[in-house]
Amino acid sequence: MAIIEALPTDQLALPGAVTSDYKPAGVFTRPKAGGTGWKSWLTTVDHKKIGIMYGATALVFLLIGGFEAILIRVQLWSPRGTLLSANAYNQVFTMHGTTMVFLVVMPIGAAFANYLMPLQIGARDVAYPRINAYSYWMYLFGGIFLNTSWLLGGGADGGWFNYAPNNGILYSPSHGIDFWNLGLIITGIASLAGAVNLIVTVLNMRAPGMTLMRMPIFTWMTLVTQFLLLFAIPVLTVAQVLLMMDRTFHANFFNVAKGANPLLWEHLFWIFGHPEVYLMILPAFGLVSDILPTFARKPIFGYPFIVFSGVAIGFMGWGVWAHHMFVSGIGPISVTAFSLTTMFIAVPTGVKILNWTATMWGGKLRFTSPMLFSIGLVTMFTIGGLSGVTHSVAPADTQQTDTYYIVAHFHYVLFGGAFFGFIGGFYYYWPKVFGYMLNEKLGKTNFWLMLLGFNLTFAPMHILGLQGMSRRIYTYDAGYGFDLWNKVATIGAFTLASSVFLFIFNIFYSRSKAKSLPPVGADPWDARTIEWMIPSPVPEYNYDPIPTITRVDDFWYRKYGETKDGKLVRIAATEDVVQQRSDGKHIHLPSPSYWPIVASFGMPIVAYGLIFNLWLCLVGGIIVVGALFGWVLEPPDDPDAAHEDHDPAAHGSDDGTVVVNAGEVAEAGDVAAEKEPETVG
Amino acid sequence: MAITSHDPIPTSQLDGAVKDYSRDKVYVLTALFLAALTVIEIMTYAFPDFPVWSGNLVIAVLMILMAIKFFTVVYIFMHLRFDKPILTWIFWAGVTLAAGVYLVALCTFRIFWPGHHG
Amino acid sequence: MANAVQTHESVAAADAHAPHAHIDHDTNTGISNTKLGMWLFLASECLLFGGLITTYLLYKHPLEGPTPKEIFDIPFTSTSSFVLLMSSLTMVLAVSAIERGDHQRLRIWLGATALLGATFISGQIYEFTVFVREGLGFTTSRFSSAFYTLTGFHGVHVTVGIIMLMSLVLLSLRGKLPEHRAETVEIIGLYWHFVDVVWIFIFAVVYLIP
Repeated sequence: MAIIEALPTDQLALPGAVTSDYKPAGVFTRPKAGGTGWKSWLTTVDHKKIGIMYGATALVFLLIGGFEAILIRVQLWSPRGTLLSANAYNQVFTMHGTTMVFLVVMPIGAAFANYLMPLQIGARDVAYPRINAYSYWMYLFGGIFLNTSWLLGGGADGGWFNYAPNNGILYSPSHGIDFWNLGLIITGIASLAGAVNLIVTVLNMRAPGMTLMRMPIFTWMTLVTQFLLLFAIPVLTVAQVLLMMDRTFHANFFNVAKGANPLLWEHLFWIFGHPEVYLMILPAFGLVSDILPTFARKPIFGYPFIVFSGVAIGFMGWGVWAHHMFVSGIGPISVTAFSLTTMFIAVPTGVKILNWTATMWGGKLRFTSPMLFSIGLVTMFTIGGLSGVTHSVAPADTQQTDTYYIVAHFHYVLFGGAFFGFIGGFYYYWPKVFGYMLNEKLGKTNFWLMLLGFNLTFAPMHILGLQGMSRRIYTYDAGYGFDLWNKVATIGAFTLASSVFLFIFNIFYSRSKAKSLPPVGADPWDARTIEWMIPSPVPEYNYDPIPTITRVDDFWYRKYGETKDGKLVRIAATEDVVQQRSDGKHIHLPSPSYWPIVASFGMPIVAYGLIFNLWLCLVGGIIVVGALFGWVLEPPDDPDAAHEDHDPAAHGSDDGTVVVNAGEVAEAGDVAAEKEPETVG
Repeated sequence: MAITSHDPIPTSQLDGAVKDYSRDKVYVLTALFLAALTVIEIMTYAFPDFPVWSGNLVIAVLMILMAIKFFTVVYIFMHLRFDKPILTWIFWAGVTLAAGVYLVALCTFRIFWPGHHG
Repeated sequence: MANAVQTHESVAAADAHAPHAHIDHDTNTGISNTKLGMWLFLASECLLFGGLITTYLLYKHPLEGPTPKEIFDIPFTSTSSFVLLMSSLTMVLAVSAIERGDHQRLRIWLGATALLGATFISGQIYEFTVFVREGLGFTTSRFSSAFYTLTGFHGVHVTVGIIMLMSLVLLSLRGKLPEHRAETVEIIGLYWHFVDVVWIFIFAVVYLIP
């Protein structure tokens, strides 16, 4: 120690001095934090703005994917439909599935994770703000790239899982599958970077006192989800790299003539694919686990059980993938083993259903829109879960495979489960994010319309499937008994579409009405978790000061206590325990940067190059590598952006701890340094 | 202490995460150990009839040697042995998950059964 | 440390206890964000290389063209494997050098590591050209596709590692790699060792197992 204490003080300014001779190239001059206008969105590293962009982009893709769904349903309205050709139909259902899974459900999960998780753990931002921005732009560009296939020779046509050898050049000569393949590699990189980022954030950046077992359930589920992504995405990437080698460079991975085994693709895809379905549903489970206690005015029933059942789902999700392959001839031993694991995984899911029901049991339920959607999730997901357990019975599964029964099942879990949870989450968190409530009356209409439309669309598919109607057929003949239920499903699809439009209408309607209403305040729902103690919309710096956490649902217990006989009593007015908006001058935020968007912009160019002309790869590659070097040489925090009475030199050692690639030291220093004065005993 | 200083500083004061141990010596010894194992590995190729690894035993011997080398590098050179336990957990999660799912997948192809040639 | 009230002296005192930017003390786990992130990334990479190795094992018996046994030059590959293994030693010596504040040695060891890596890559390129000349093209058989993809993927990882090592040398030469950033070298080192352990696996499973 003595060696260091003997230093002349000015030497401590060294890191600051190092960073100040950084000269960015002209147009890439570092933008300042706290800007507004469209430019600030391009360069932002604020997890809240990025979360909003994720959500908005996903809603746009929802409309695209929804339009594709409507095309499918119109085509199947009556026997011998003529709206789409067989080829166009293949493309439409493939792109519908791909869009909904990779560009809608996963990103909405990412939107909530980005916006909420740092708030729920009391952090200033995520661990690597620039990588966070990079993830978003990679997702956006990957999604756009994927959809440009419509203009450049047609979309992918092999189903969302694109089984080999159908995905080979021989059977799918258009560029559709190339777009699918490369586009999903790009969004995969986005997910992987996001996974590392969010896991590090949860593990490293929690507020004082926020132990793992005091975290809100949504944060827990985010952690599990991101671990699933971390390990599942590379498996898909392997499969896709092999496919790219086959399609672009004529390798033999799925070339049966050279002895390739097409089951390799199925295995790789489903080793990824089954964790994938859990990582789509778990964020919605997390949201519901935070919404139900709020409107039941009771703590979540069995907090540790709901946490560990989520973790258990995460683990067991890795051991069930071959139940997607029971009819592929993997042999009786494999079928038996995977049947058993599939039955077992129903247990932790059942634990969750029980916990939610028990949370509502005996509570003073308030049937607000978020609550309705949450109850919708619990009921609809239970139906989907039960039809899922029937797949573990291999003889039954053999009959159900590739029929509409499967389509019904996964829409019940993904739409009735994940999507209902997300819409509930939108209604619940809208005031926190945008500062105004969505109209409750419209919201309740929205719910009932969606519930009706959803069940009209997908419940008949159970019957159709058991009657023997195959998935992915573009038309059917009259006289099989398919006519009636297909008509019902199509009517349901339009009902569903109108409920989505009602939701979008509600956004604009409520926004215009909001001006004449009083501001919503920090805590409009009388909620439990700490993100409700900061002003709405959330200030850029999140918390000032960072709260110290003493228990689960910390904010609730600042407002309420219990009498000796367990009765709830208010101990402090909400206005007294919420934080007031401060000017945030003394809080140092990570600086915006151009490099994430530039670096991700190069990726689709590389991908176009792999499809059309390898020289384009060079152009894209130069952009990516150049941007990465610009990124690396740019200090994580702009020392010039430091506010007054905050000496950049003294601050120096916080800057630029990392030179290469991976990161930024976020404001953890502030987190640790500030202790909140106790407001409530 | 300008940045060009060559004055040695005790490592224990510089690296909070890694416990103090006489590093360079450990590193060189580890490298020698790894080199020795590699020599044995190559011997299985040069002298395939040596009784210890004759026949199918060679696969077991090579896998054991590989595993020892693998974890020596991970635990000493990547100093997992001296670092926070959570890093060990994370790395093992990746290794075991990869080993688990891919071994099961290979088993469904009956690849470890005699007579497999695709 | 960003508190406005803090003086130079208190910053200095705090720094004295955590010379490398006190990141250790700011996080809940006591591990810096970057290091934790790198380990997570490496854990994820296990699944990536695992998938490629699985593919290779499934396809290692070709229906036509040269077989692994006919084509592999074990003495040559053993040498280049040994070179890569020893680069791990120079890498840890580089980390140890910067932690002692020995910047001269840091650059030497980093340069040596990059050089050993480059030797390995040159060996791989040479090996590939020989194989192609002997009739094992990328599209020849299922074995050739799997082999080139697996080892090529590893080669790309080594190349990225070399670029990062060279960047570190340049940064150090320009005085931008002070001791308190030793962790940067350590983290690049983690990546480098990981690429090495992947090769340890590939060498045994792909080349040596008959």
